[in-house]
Amino acid sequence: MKLRDLLQLSSVLALFTLSHASSIPNQEYSEHLYLKPLANDHLHADFNFTATTPVADYDAQHFRYFPRSLAQILQYTHTTELHLRFALGRWDEEQWGSRPRNGRREGGTGVELWAWIEGQSEEADERWSDLVNSLSGLFCASLNFVDSTKTIRPVLSFEPEGTHPSGSGGSQLLHGMLPHEVVCTENLTPFLKMLPCKGKAGISSLLDGHKLFDASWQSMAVDVRPVCPSTNSRKDECVLEIQQTVSMALSIPRSMRDRHNPIPRPPPIEEIECDDSKVWNGHDTCYPKPSTGDLGWSLAKVFGRPIKGACPLGDADGAGDISLDVPLERTVEAQGSASSETEPSGLRKFSLQAATDFDVVLPRQDTVSSSSSTHPPLYASRQMTGYGQERGGMHATLRNPHPYPQKIVYLESLPWYLKPYMHTLEIQHGNIEKMFYTPALDRVRGTHLELVIEIPADSTVELNYDFEKAILRYTEYPPDANRGFDVAPAVIRVLPRNVSDPADGNNQDEYLRTTSLLLPLPTPDFSMPYNVIILTSTVIALGFGSIFNMLIRKFVLLEEVPASPLKTKVTMLKEKIAALLGKTSKKGSDTKPSEEPGPAAVIDPNAALNGSTDGSALTNGSAKLRNVKG
Amino acid sequence: MGLSARLLTLRRSPVLLKLPPYLSAACIVVGVVWLLLLPLNEYSRQTYVSENAILPGQVHTYFGGSEHNVFRAFRQEAYDQKDASEGHRNAVLGRIMRESGLKVAEQPYSYYAAGEEIAGTNVYGILQGPRADATEAMIIMAGWKNFEGLVNYSGVALVLTLARYFSRWSIWSKDIIVIISPESTYGPIAWVDAYHSTSPIVTATQNISALPIKSGALQAAVAIDYPVGPWGHRFDKIDIQYDGLNGALPNLDLLNTAVSVASGQMNIGCSLHGISGHKDSYNDRLRTIAAGLATQSLGHATGPHSAFMPYHIDAITLKTVGDGWHDEMSLGRVTESLIRSVNNLLEHLHQSFFFYILLNANRFVSIGNYLPAAMLIAGSFTISALALWVQSGRAPLPEKTPAQPTDEKASALPPMELVKAGPDAALVPKPALQSVDRHLFLPALTLLSIHLASFIPLYLLTHLPRSFLPPTLHALTALSLLLPPTLSHLLPANTRDLQTLQSLSLLLLSATLSTLATLNFSLAFLAGLLASPLAFVRPCRSLPAAVLSYAVLAALSPMSVTYGFAAWYWGRGMGLEGVLAEFARGWEAQGVWTMGVVWCVWWPAWVGGGVGVWGGVFGKRT
Repeated sequence: MKLRDLLQLSSVLALFTLSHASSIPNQEYSEHLYLKPLANDHLHADFNFTATTPVADYDAQHFRYFPRSLAQILQYTHTTELHLRFALGRWDEEQWGSRPRNGRREGGTGVELWAWIEGQSEEADERWSDLVNSLSGLFCASLNFVDSTKTIRPVLSFEPEGTHPSGSGGSQLLHGMLPHEVVCTENLTPFLKMLPCKGKAGISSLLDGHKLFDASWQSMAVDVRPVCPSTNSRKDECVLEIQQTVSMALSIPRSMRDRHNPIPRPPPIEEIECDDSKVWNGHDTCYPKPSTGDLGWSLAKVFGRPIKGACPLGDADGAGDISLDVPLERTVEAQGSASSETEPSGLRKFSLQAATDFDVVLPRQDTVSSSSSTHPPLYASRQMTGYGQERGGMHATLRNPHPYPQKIVYLESLPWYLKPYMHTLEIQHGNIEKMFYTPALDRVRGTHLELVIEIPADSTVELNYDFEKAILRYTEYPPDANRGFDVAPAVIRVLPRNVSDPADGNNQDEYLRTTSLLLPLPTPDFSMPYNVIILTSTVIALGFGSIFNMLIRKFVLLEEVPASPLKTKVTMLKEKIAALLGKTSKKGSDTKPSEEPGPAAVIDPNAALNGSTDGSALTNGSAKLRNVKG
Repeated sequence: MGLSARLLTLRRSPVLLKLPPYLSAACIVVGVVWLLLLPLNEYSRQTYVSENAILPGQVHTYFGGSEHNVFRAFRQEAYDQKDASEGHRNAVLGRIMRESGLKVAEQPYSYYAAGEEIAGTNVYGILQGPRADATEAMIIMAGWKNFEGLVNYSGVALVLTLARYFSRWSIWSKDIIVIISPESTYGPIAWVDAYHSTSPIVTATQNISALPIKSGALQAAVAIDYPVGPWGHRFDKIDIQYDGLNGALPNLDLLNTAVSVASGQMNIGCSLHGISGHKDSYNDRLRTIAAGLATQSLGHATGPHSAFMPYHIDAITLKTVGDGWHDEMSLGRVTESLIRSVNNLLEHLHQSFFFYILLNANRFVSIGNYLPAAMLIAGSFTISALALWVQSGRAPLPEKTPAQPTDEKASALPPMELVKAGPDAALVPKPALQSVDRHLFLPALTLLSIHLASFIPLYLLTHLPRSFLPPTLHALTALSLLLPPTLSHLLPANTRDLQTLQSLSLLLLSATLSTLATLNFSLAFLAGLLASPLAFVRPCRSLPAAVLSYAVLAALSPMSVTYGFAAWYWGRGMGLEGVLAEFARGWEAQGVWTMGVVWCVWWPAWVGGGVGVWGGVFGKRT
């Protein structure tokens, strides 16, 4: 009887658990590598690692694929959504087309960070400060320099990617940039350590500091966002998703150079292809033919090592871990893949096997049909005009190559020592629809400028304004003061054309960033404090001493020098001791009480002025007129 | 007590007013001798590299091997364009740059000066350093025609080969900009003006188009001048040119790095100002100083590098001279090593000197040692001005002149007065104790009008077409010679007014020259030296004395110096018209101040001196 009841109970429980299992989300992890050869012998490699954790597990501190270190920071600072970017180099839009992932997974040169933080303004500021300091420690980047002078609250430039719970007090968006931060291996290592396989297996095993930081363009991104099935789903249906992306554009010939012989020596003449059509082509004159066709490369040669098997964690949906975007005619040889697929467009998909090295080899091939690269939405560049240490101008050029007008949001976060004059803001061939401007306060906050600009079809908009440079206090200069100061890049958000239909593929907003700028400020002569101290000290030492002597010094006869009380006491003490010793030892004492004043007799100036001549100070020695000094 | 009393009585001493001309002469002599002392070892120093980051000559240069073949090909390509039109040539050069991976653009420009148009199109390319952050850039450039007008085939080819060679390296912390301008003077000026957007507006004298693509802040520029065709020519030394517009000089570190790399690492000798065979003797050093003084005082461009100095960008030109055994690969390696050193820089060059005079490639004189020379010469004018001022405030003692009717007999003494100071007493002539009011209005007005009138010769000599320039100069000379006598005849000025006028004029001259000495030492020194008779001229009573003084003044006037300069340049085929056109172009297109200093500072002072001379003959008596 009891056994039957138990079995019934257990089966009911099992059914109950199974029925609910589908609605409670699981911890998931997936990784994906996207490879695409670019024009000019470059290769675009995009590593994406996505881990999700249900919010319930997150709140209960139960982590499997989600990195605990980051999660604890986010919990402590009440961060709803986080986007952190490390970027280096430039994406060549003319040769390579539009930016990968519409520019949503890259940042400006250096470090860029924006986050939605719960709380009201001062609370949010404190939490933001905690967040940047903790992230600075976690990623070995000097993010702690993102203080109030570098933080802005953009209005239109960024939209939350996740579903923010509407019940909480409302999150504030804070944004900070550090353009001079050098991104290096020390930032890559913590990034890899946050992955479940920690860079030892799976596609992350390809990531090596030497190759990654030799790339022409690279960007590391960490994006944390809450994802809910619908806007008013319950909290336990939501998951927190972390996406770690490493995107790079490598130069294939440079990456394939042997690590032990990295110097690009001029190749032997036999290896250079000469242009035979030139009349004067000969054994000593060789016009180098521009390279046509595709270079041969392989993953092992480009990254220095093959992929060390699959990362066994996470579910393998059979969706393929590696995609190679090449035309159909391109020869591709894959070694060590579990399965491979070829799509009609030429896209190859491979999936990895555990414990088997994977490599993709593309041999050299003559011209294949070049894949037409898409036009980027916009070409943007920004420069400083003028020269000198007092003032300058900012000049931004935005070119729209498409036959339809575009609307953009142009965001600039300027340091407080660059003082723009908004009345000189002028725009040519475009018009400013809206402007959000927060003026700067010295040493408190910088300028925040956001413009909504409409750019007509096939035209170039030029934006100009004048600014003045501030003179800093001499302690505010960095050690390399004559280099100048860095101005953060401008962030341009190209608004989607059809806001009505969010499902439309063309409808994502795209981001691009200009390069950072160097602002030369007037530097003082840093040796001046030293000069002033030396000069003043010399003047005081020589001048004060001489003048004091002239005023105070009085010449007296040696006999008139009164004895100092201390000397009298010391002499008496010595006599007592001598007497004591003389008593005990019973020796003939021939010690005379020493009464000669020392070579530097201390004289009280007041006493000297009052002319008190103590008779006890008279010595047996000759009365010499001596210089008595204080 | 005694000292101050003695000083006060010195005020009345007649010696005091006789002393200033000797003091002025002494100042001028000491100033010139100062300059002649500079070549000695005690007053100069060895050059040294101040910026630690530069590490000159520490890199191994790999330029060579198959790059030589590529260089010959590019040189042959350039040679094939020698008769082509500028557009076609720029297209070919741009194509070569594009194939090396640079981003290429062109910039047309035109200047209009002295009635003729100087136009051209620069072609330039930007090599974006793969790991650079686009905030800084360095420049290598070559003009299609070098400064002497020869076609710079090898220079252009070397710059293109270096660009291709540099594009394979990923060590660049700054972008590299490669510029090829049609000629070596106005092309770079137009380019760097457009880079900083300083002249975006089209005016009658210039039309500079904006640059389509730009990079970051410019740190340094190196230009190469190697005018040899495909036949090749091995050179002996590298001549380093470093003068900029208006006498600005690059940071000495850039020069020291170039010399250290060339002579130390590559064992190629370096010369300056084209002086070959420099034996490091006193004469050779003095020759180098003189050459430096000449180019700096003229302030005109001497190569592609000159355009960059006004923007505080350090630039030099490497020019090959002589017959030897160094070839283009050595020059390429020198440039590679120099660019690698500039690449090392973390900050803009600021450690070393910006004001210096070079004696040879390894010795220099810093500003503290040479500036007193110009200051003393300017000081001579100040002493004269002060002496004249004091004189103009004194009632003149009646002099014994036979032509002058006096109330008193010539032998009678003027009325005397007893002056007591302590136990001393003296008899002093009464007029010496009288103080008189100076009339400032007339002298000041005269001086102001002369200065305002000086804009007329400046305008005429810079804006007229070149064929009109020599007649204009002749007319100006004639008018300038007639102006002082006319003015002194027309002005109702007595001796004291003339002295005030001269004093104010000399004071203005000395203040301007002292200030100019800090900006352009050579111009201030030479202008002061040539204007030195102005400190000694005084109102002359007799006509022969006046004519003699005026002749001396006219011999050292701005006009005669211009004629002398043209005569010296006659041998180079320029003639008076060429020289005047060059001055006009310098003022209009290059922005050189020399004409302004000569006509607006020196010429008014000269006229003032002339008025002073003739005022003694024509002016009113007291």
